[in-house]
Amino acid sequence: MRGIRRFLPALFMLPASLSVTLFFVIPVFMTFVFSFTTMSSDTGILGSRYIVSEATIRTLKDGDLDAALVRQLDSRVFAVNEAGLAALRKSNLKPTVVKEIEEKLSGKVYASEKQLFAALKGLSNRPRSFKDRKMVSKAVVQTLKNREFTTPKEFRAGLASIGIEVTDDVFDVLLEVANTSWKWTTGNYSELMASDFTWKILANTAFYVVLTLFFNVGLALVLALVTFYMPSGQSKFFRAVWLIPRVSPSVIYIMLWRWLSFDGGFMSYILGFFGVQPENWLNEFPWTFVIMANGFVGASMGMIIFASAVVAIPADVLHAAEVDGAYPWQQVRRIILPLMAWPILFITTYQTLSLMTSFEYILLLTDGGPGFFTTEVWALNAYHTALSNYYGNLRYGFGATLAVVLVAVGIAMSLIYLRLFDFKKLVAEPQIEN
Amino acid sequence: MEIRLEKFCKSFGPVKVIEDLDLTIGDCEMIALLGPSGCGKTTTLYAVCGIHRVTSGRIWFGDKDVTALPPQEKNVGVVFQSFALYPHLSVYENIAFPLRIRKDSRADIERKVNEMAGVLHMEELLDRRPGQLSGGQQQRVALARALVRRPEVLLMDEPLANLDAGLRLEMRSEIRRIQRESGCTSILVTHDQVEAMSMCDRIALMNEGKIQQIGSPDDMYHRPENKFIAGFIGNPPISFADGKVEDGCFVTEGLRIELPDRIKGAAVSAGQNISVGVRPEYLRPDFATPIEGEITFIETQGREVLYDLTLAGGQVFRSIQSGEQVCGVGDRIRWGIDADSVFFFGEDGNRI
Amino acid sequence: MDDRKTNWPLTIFLLIISAPILIMYLWLFVDSVSEINTDSIWPTEFTLRNWRFLVEEIPGHGSVWTALFNTTVFASSVVAIVVILSSTAGYALSRLKFPYRSEFLGLVLLLHSFPSVTLIISIFLMLRMIGLFDTLIGVILVKASLELPFGIWIMKGFYDTVPWEIEMAGVQDGASRFQVWYKLVLPQIMPGIAALSIFSFMAGWSEFVLPLILAPSADMRLMSVYLAGLVNDDYLSDYGLFKAVGLFYIIPVMMFYLFTQDKLMNIYGGGTKG
Repeated sequence: MRGIRRFLPALFMLPASLSVTLFFVIPVFMTFVFSFTTMSSDTGILGSRYIVSEATIRTLKDGDLDAALVRQLDSRVFAVNEAGLAALRKSNLKPTVVKEIEEKLSGKVYASEKQLFAALKGLSNRPRSFKDRKMVSKAVVQTLKNREFTTPKEFRAGLASIGIEVTDDVFDVLLEVANTSWKWTTGNYSELMASDFTWKILANTAFYVVLTLFFNVGLALVLALVTFYMPSGQSKFFRAVWLIPRVSPSVIYIMLWRWLSFDGGFMSYILGFFGVQPENWLNEFPWTFVIMANGFVGASMGMIIFASAVVAIPADVLHAAEVDGAYPWQQVRRIILPLMAWPILFITTYQTLSLMTSFEYILLLTDGGPGFFTTEVWALNAYHTALSNYYGNLRYGFGATLAVVLVAVGIAMSLIYLRLFDFKKLVAEPQIEN
Repeated sequence: MEIRLEKFCKSFGPVKVIEDLDLTIGDCEMIALLGPSGCGKTTTLYAVCGIHRVTSGRIWFGDKDVTALPPQEKNVGVVFQSFALYPHLSVYENIAFPLRIRKDSRADIERKVNEMAGVLHMEELLDRRPGQLSGGQQQRVALARALVRRPEVLLMDEPLANLDAGLRLEMRSEIRRIQRESGCTSILVTHDQVEAMSMCDRIALMNEGKIQQIGSPDDMYHRPENKFIAGFIGNPPISFADGKVEDGCFVTEGLRIELPDRIKGAAVSAGQNISVGVRPEYLRPDFATPIEGEITFIETQGREVLYDLTLAGGQVFRSIQSGEQVCGVGDRIRWGIDADSVFFFGEDGNRI
Repeated sequence: MDDRKTNWPLTIFLLIISAPILIMYLWLFVDSVSEINTDSIWPTEFTLRNWRFLVEEIPGHGSVWTALFNTTVFASSVVAIVVILSSTAGYALSRLKFPYRSEFLGLVLLLHSFPSVTLIISIFLMLRMIGLFDTLIGVILVKASLELPFGIWIMKGFYDTVPWEIEMAGVQDGASRFQVWYKLVLPQIMPGIAALSIFSFMAGWSEFVLPLILAPSADMRLMSVYLAGLVNDDYLSDYGLFKAVGLFYIIPVMMFYLFTQDKLMNIYGGGTKG
């Protein structure tokens, strides 16, 4: 019993702490770590990678290595070895041909395809067609180019396979140049500062955040106040309606906006009555829809908070305003709004930060388009840079650098939140002391 | 200005709170709506100022029908139980609020607010926020705000309930003074009979949505119309005992009181069930009509001593006497009742 | 003021600004069971044609049942992890004495309002490093972990309302702290567990970004990714089909919403993630 008592807190805290640490706390730090790397889909993520590519050769040619060696690196040799023979046996060459190659040419190395073909001609069961000879050459060709090696040892073996033996000094040079794995860098940050796109995206983000904020905080206030002055049945109904977008899966909610705005959708139909040609309105006014879609969702949270803040104003205070001669609009302006200054400030801050960091709805609605970067905001750009783009090269490191800014915003947001709670009360000491 | 309620009814959904209430309050008069909680007194007040809509009946201010007027269009000052000060405005702005809404000129507002502050002795508080004021100070601000635009009617909903005992005493006379000075017709809602009696010209005692009796504090105490009023007014409360009429007397075990002439023959007949109500100050050793029993409880209040006297039949009477304690618990005593000052009630609860 | 009458201008105003929502969700239902007419939005005839996806695969998109199965597994696993770990950790933070308790609490409070979507890049890279990338287990663990601070926060709140006297009495009666938790305290906070279960189920059921990025393979596909795939398919522009799939997908969420509206309003209002 005593044992359980001692380990109970650990037992209760450990699983949760572990998973939160692993998938929440560490990623926060790792975002910073990754932002100082050149990681991308080209460099891979794990360990080192050695590749002699076209680019490697070019770099080596410009260096002070022996030109013959560089040519050798770039070359191909044709070595009839067990691996090549195994491939030939699986091919549709006649077994007799393969057998003779194995018997007569095994272990031979040819410096060019011409020499290999000449040797093949000397066989009695020789491959007849050019296609067949090509097949043999393909099976036995050895080249360093574009082969991936994960350790220096493998790389050395690879060099040996095309007959290159080098001194350790030369090998180190080769290793250095051929290493395409990611490196530590501060270049992401300087690139971020220098890039023109940064400013474009920053401007987009500011535009999006400010307008959506006005839209959704304003709407939330209107909803909270209007429903406050309504019979309770109606106000319940409207509040329930406004919460629907919030509880709906984002994919469905955005699909409905796309339906509303596409050329065969609701808007085009209604506008048709006024003689307006059907259009894909989302493409015509992308920002309008981005702001509305986000605003309609965001309004619900403000609505709930504001509604409870209005209800929290003592009924007598409003009665007093009434008998003092204030009509509903004057009550709102002179009593209710000033009394709600704090909730309004809170919602505004909270929404600002959360609009800055979220990208789900824009991703689904316009994916940053139409066209180039029209509605691309910071968070979406981080996602595109690191995880999904048309160019195919996913720049994890640079994406993480963009995300660092967002994580910083997130930390600011959490700290603000923390200030709102009476922390001392939350950590009140347990009353059973052992 | 006279306020008149005619057949006023108020329901919340299916629940009838007030039914057919008639009440007239004279010009410059201050009337108390007194009653236990839930009797409909606050509801009546809210209907007069227009916060509640009237279900049926009429409300008149002088000869103007204000039944359907929203509160904004009535010139009524209200002091709420919670004071309902605007927490985000300074004392000055709180008092100025009704004037600002009315769009008075800046100079006018300043003059009137300062005048009000003078009347209520709170010039030095004008810059503070309601949160920085004591209960009594908040009370004054609420009163100032209600009075600043010279209302025709002043309504107060339990204005002293949130104050401590000493302040309550002080504010009672203060409110009365200001009401007299301003000369506005006033309604005071309270559950405290002392407040009602000490502050108002007349009292309307309410129970279960109906007015039981309207009259001066004296009337209420000495001439209650029914058992409820007799029981509600008076502290320590009156004692009741059930009995029968026999030979022109009220009889119960251990007590026999001769009925006064005015009701002897006409109002009651022999054998009828009636009850008697005896206020504690009319039961003392030196009164004539004898009463016998055992002392079952004694409470010393300092200046006075309270005795519970239990008769043989189990009926309990209370006596209050000044001076020192004259007997102990368990003593059998024979004291007297002042038969001229007791009330008799019929089976329907009305005074005979 | 007290018994408010309908103010028609207000009601009509609110109906107008609520129109997009009302129209969108009304037509979600209507279009899923009617023939789509190209030049009108009014349904012409009732049809179940849009629901064929239940019995035959949509070419190039696989079976909806796989997606439904994955989504169910995903959402239920998230609920199980979040509820179990939150109800233990929440209890420890609310009631037990252990070192660094207030630091833990600060962290929970800090993380519960942290916009976790900003971590997606480093989570993606980390999952690839530890080999959980493109597995359902990986996304489940990530989603559950990201929901945990919020869950612990909510559960701690519920534990805080249980009177200490109950626990003191239990301890006096000879029960261990574990027994006290399991037999006395846990039954008191069943409403909290129910609310958290519903909330995390809905969060899991609706999740889109995490599975999209962390488990992109076709056989890991969740309903959200499946539907997004349909809508973004350039060769498919059949809103009847989209809406039928959408309706099929949203039904459990709407059921929960209808029955637990008040509770959810509290949680949404209590400041969850943006």
